[in-house]
Amino acid sequence: MKNLVRALRTQRNMAQGQLAEAMGVSRQTINSIETGRYTPSLPLALALARYFGVTVEEMFDDQGS
Amino acid sequence: MIKDRSQAICRSRWFTPLICLGLGIVVFAVSWLGGQFRGGLISLAILAAFGLILLLLTGRSETIRGLTVGRDERFAQLDLRATALAGLVMLLFALVGWLVAVARGQNGHPYDWLLATGGLAYLLAFVFFRWRG
Repeated sequence: MKNLVRALRTQRNMAQGQLAEAMGVSRQTINSIETGRYTPSLPLALALARYFGVTVEEMFDDQGS
Repeated sequence: MIKDRSQAICRSRWFTPLICLGLGIVVFAVSWLGGQFRGGLISLAILAAFGLILLLLTGRSETIRGLTVGRDERFAQLDLRATALAGLVMLLFALVGWLVAVARGQNGHPYDWLLATGGLAYLLAFVFFRWRG
């Protein structure tokens, strides 16, 4: 699923490892989400959206996947 | 509290290597009882070495860490898929084995028991998880 995770993360000069630590997941998981290979669970999607101050709909695009 | 403690034990980097070692000791003991001391010793060595490799790589490889101590939701999903696939492969193997055995005029043991156990376990698990929602 296409998403803005990488854009929002790099906007804040964060490394994947830092975001992974903040979300309590592995760096590989963040990488998989960013590349669209893994669709996160609802709790993780909400946590990511809350962390970046956007809505889940703004962060994830289920139309363009 | 008990759940927290068990989760802490499972998340310890020693947990999986010690399970490997424990399994190796059980295999060794059973083999020894069956008169296969050397085979049991080799099995123990292989399982102990596997546990040691896991222990050494846990700090270095994120994948190994995901398989052992640092299981997040993606690794849990990968584990679930891999377990399901392994179960499917085993059932297919048992099915082919049973068909071959029956075609050879044998009674199909022990493949029939494996198939029955697998099928029953699937049905019970399905009903259980459906009931749990």
